[in-house]
Amino acid sequence: MTAAVESSLLSGIYQGKIVHARFWFYIGLMIGASLLAIFGGNGYDEDAYIYRLLSMQGLIWCGAGGVAGLVASMFLGGKKSAALVPWLDGLTLMIVLMWLFTLFEPHASLISYEDQSNLVSGKLVMAMNLFFIFSAVCYIMYLFAPESFIGKMATGAAWGGVYTGGTSLLLRWYESYLFLGGDIGHAPVSNLYEVFILLFCVTCCIYLAFERRYQAKAMGAFIMVIVSAGVFFGIWLDSIGQADIKPLVPALQSYWMKIHVPLNFVGYGAFAVACAAGMAWLVRDRLEQKGTSKMLKVFPSLDQLDQLAYKSVAIGFPAFTLATILGAAWAAEAWGGYWSWDPKETWALIVWLFYGAYLHVRISHGWSGKTLAWWAVAGFLVTLFCFVGVNMYLSGLHSYGRLA
Amino acid sequence: MSYYHESIKPLFLRMASMPLAIVLLMVLAIASVIGTVLLQNQEQADYLNQFGPVWYWVFRSLGLFDMYHAWWFIGLLAFLMVSLSFCLWHNVPRMLKEMRSRKITLAEHAWKRMQRTHEFALSDLTMDQVKAKVEAIDGWRWLSRSEGERTHLRGDKGSYHKWGYILVHSALLIVLIGGWMSVQFGFRGNMAVPEGSSENTITFLKGTGVESLKMPFDVRCNNFDIDFYPNGMPKEFKSNLTIIDGGEEVLTSDIIVNEPLYYKGVRIYQASFGDGGSEIGLKLLRLDGSKRIDSVKGEIYKTYTDTESGISLEFTDFKPFNVENMAAPGAPKKFQDIGPAVDFILRGPGLKPVKVRSFLNPFDVDGQNQGTLIMVSLTGDVRDFQSFFLGPDLTNPKEWDLFHAFSKRIGGGDASAGLKAFKDSVKEVYGEKPPADMQDLGIRTLQGMQVLPTLPWPFIPILDDYEQHYYTGLQLAEDPGMNVVWVGSAILVFGLCIMLYISHRKVWVVLEPASKGVRIRVAGLSNRNTMAFEGEFNAFLRELENNLATDEQTSEQGASS
Repeated sequence: MTAAVESSLLSGIYQGKIVHARFWFYIGLMIGASLLAIFGGNGYDEDAYIYRLLSMQGLIWCGAGGVAGLVASMFLGGKKSAALVPWLDGLTLMIVLMWLFTLFEPHASLISYEDQSNLVSGKLVMAMNLFFIFSAVCYIMYLFAPESFIGKMATGAAWGGVYTGGTSLLLRWYESYLFLGGDIGHAPVSNLYEVFILLFCVTCCIYLAFERRYQAKAMGAFIMVIVSAGVFFGIWLDSIGQADIKPLVPALQSYWMKIHVPLNFVGYGAFAVACAAGMAWLVRDRLEQKGTSKMLKVFPSLDQLDQLAYKSVAIGFPAFTLATILGAAWAAEAWGGYWSWDPKETWALIVWLFYGAYLHVRISHGWSGKTLAWWAVAGFLVTLFCFVGVNMYLSGLHSYGRLA
Repeated sequence: MSYYHESIKPLFLRMASMPLAIVLLMVLAIASVIGTVLLQNQEQADYLNQFGPVWYWVFRSLGLFDMYHAWWFIGLLAFLMVSLSFCLWHNVPRMLKEMRSRKITLAEHAWKRMQRTHEFALSDLTMDQVKAKVEAIDGWRWLSRSEGERTHLRGDKGSYHKWGYILVHSALLIVLIGGWMSVQFGFRGNMAVPEGSSENTITFLKGTGVESLKMPFDVRCNNFDIDFYPNGMPKEFKSNLTIIDGGEEVLTSDIIVNEPLYYKGVRIYQASFGDGGSEIGLKLLRLDGSKRIDSVKGEIYKTYTDTESGISLEFTDFKPFNVENMAAPGAPKKFQDIGPAVDFILRGPGLKPVKVRSFLNPFDVDGQNQGTLIMVSLTGDVRDFQSFFLGPDLTNPKEWDLFHAFSKRIGGGDASAGLKAFKDSVKEVYGEKPPADMQDLGIRTLQGMQVLPTLPWPFIPILDDYEQHYYTGLQLAEDPGMNVVWVGSAILVFGLCIMLYISHRKVWVVLEPASKGVRIRVAGLSNRNTMAFEGEFNAFLRELENNLATDEQTSEQGASS
């Protein structure tokens, strides 16, 4: 099969009726799963839900939802559906991969809570680390040797990292049910190690979407260096025993956790991409002042980088706002008040004010260029302190994200 | 604008200005940092200790110990509200007016400002036909006007985007008002309800003091339970509560963390737990050589006084589990539960008051009995507990007897004659069937010979039995501002999406008769996201050309048939 045929086949499934039907099928599937959570059995129960989803009951609810979606697709429109479908396809692929990897899990008798090193998810995380570091190396090489082959390798490795990372997280969710009689199962967003993997995946997804749309490949070197630094932090966390799956403390046993935490990381990831765009802007600015450099051909223009930074903030800011509001809603349910001036909350507010001021000077004052590039970089440092620093240096109600 | 007097106009404009808003946001951000670095609402004595008298008074007068309720921080927030109000007042009428008035004609000099322009000519169509075809393009709101021989058409997309600004800023004002209502009209406080009793008063911190508030109903705790994971971590804290209103039981329900109870506008949360007056049975092993063991009863938070010695025991806490790290320092941690323990403060004539922790079980490492352990803290702080191994397993009366038999034989003197004396003593106490762990027993007894006579107390208090009662720590809160905050938050997110994702895109199509047919000039402008607008403008041009081309075809077909 030639490359041309292959690409036409690939683009074929993202066109016309097929993609439209698939979009509504996915929507139906998700509605089916949500209805199962709400009406199946006696309301939502974390421990039972996954089993229910994977049982005959789940097949019936989700299948019915999917079929209903397919039927509905004949009557419904949806111009934007084609843009969302590749993401949903990717998610489906991750779930299939997760299922495949469960076949390689050690025998039940070899799985113990005390020693979790023989689980497959740990090995996948290792693969993810390699992918991301390799991708960073390729992106940096691409700056100096802009061969399309190297660029493709860099992008491919980044996607490889996203898929292994995402799959390993899903697999951790599954694995959390294998210990201690299935009593401690929970979504893989409960400690620093897990959310770090989530952050890598979200950051890369946002960046890769930009790369495809705006041909901003030179930015990859900056974003993947940030991700690689995170990878090394993750390896360190693993080495001090922070990578183990542990039971959830009572305060975290809530469906809010699954909404609040991932949404927050959409915000953090977008701010990381904005930081990378800001860094790229500053480097390009420096190169331009020095005179002509070969590298200038690879870099997007200053104006483009400026807009990319703004676009990332425009993705991150509403997500972060919504995540903080949902966090407040959770706090109202768990701690007795929607706002307690807890250090994590306060730092979230600081991050919010920081990017709020960024948007003000940008939209209403029409600033751009150097100040805003520095602002994006500084903003990410503030975000980083909110995300990791608060857990390391300050105490408070969010102490479950704490390093032991 | 004549809503206000001319003389305050400069002030008014300054309050509504953007630099002020940015400065305010940054000042708030920096001020907020202080409260996260300096631990809030701690004991005043701790602060005094930490900073010394001078800085303590400086910080205290600035309200830094309860910073988020300090006058200047509240002032900052109030200032933000005022600035927001002025900003809205100043800008909303202008924005609404701008949204209503759309300039249809495009002056020649304005063409230079356009981000995208395009020009072409068509021969076969009249001006009116072209105009109709332009207005048929979907998704744009069209207006047209003829001026002289020119026809101007203007299309808008996302012209409502200014609502984004209005909604976001109003939403912030609403959230701040909601927050103010919460503080002003709501309350939030704690109450501790022991199992089996009821309570109706909450206490809370205000400034540097504690205040209390009576609830319009009573809460009775019927039961409190902790569930554990197999590895010893707590899984669930659950209280069974009954609400008593006007002497009547109106509602009984379980609450757990994350699932509060709601009654008469007050939410009742599971917040903490502790000892609610457990009943304690102690054995006092008299050290006067009489071998006497007295059983006494006590209760947590109460004091037992031994009439014989004048010593008083003030029971402070009871814990049914005491998980300690049993590994040597530096070695991998190894946690083990060493069983129930009671804490009490021991006071007596001529004795230094100390805090003592006494255990129900002897200390056991890997099945080896190490005898009775007692912990003593000279400062009264639980972090300063030091372990003392007393020697014999004092929960076993026979070892107590053995200790006495042995010390009688040795007579307190020379321990070298010990082995025979020990064997005789064992025979005396245990009879002809010696216990299996003779060697350990020997070590324990010898240790007892060294340690017990040095104790300053006339008896050893050993925990004997218990009947545990918890109290459940509840948080009660009423928050009339909460729903206001939620409404504001929803508007905020909605407004942000409009503000950031909807750009106001405008296209102008200017038609004028040319020497042959119609000259068509197209211009486009977007207030943001110019990268995406380029694609959209090109798509618009394609659609326009397609429309005009099909029309040509159909008109040709119409002519031929």
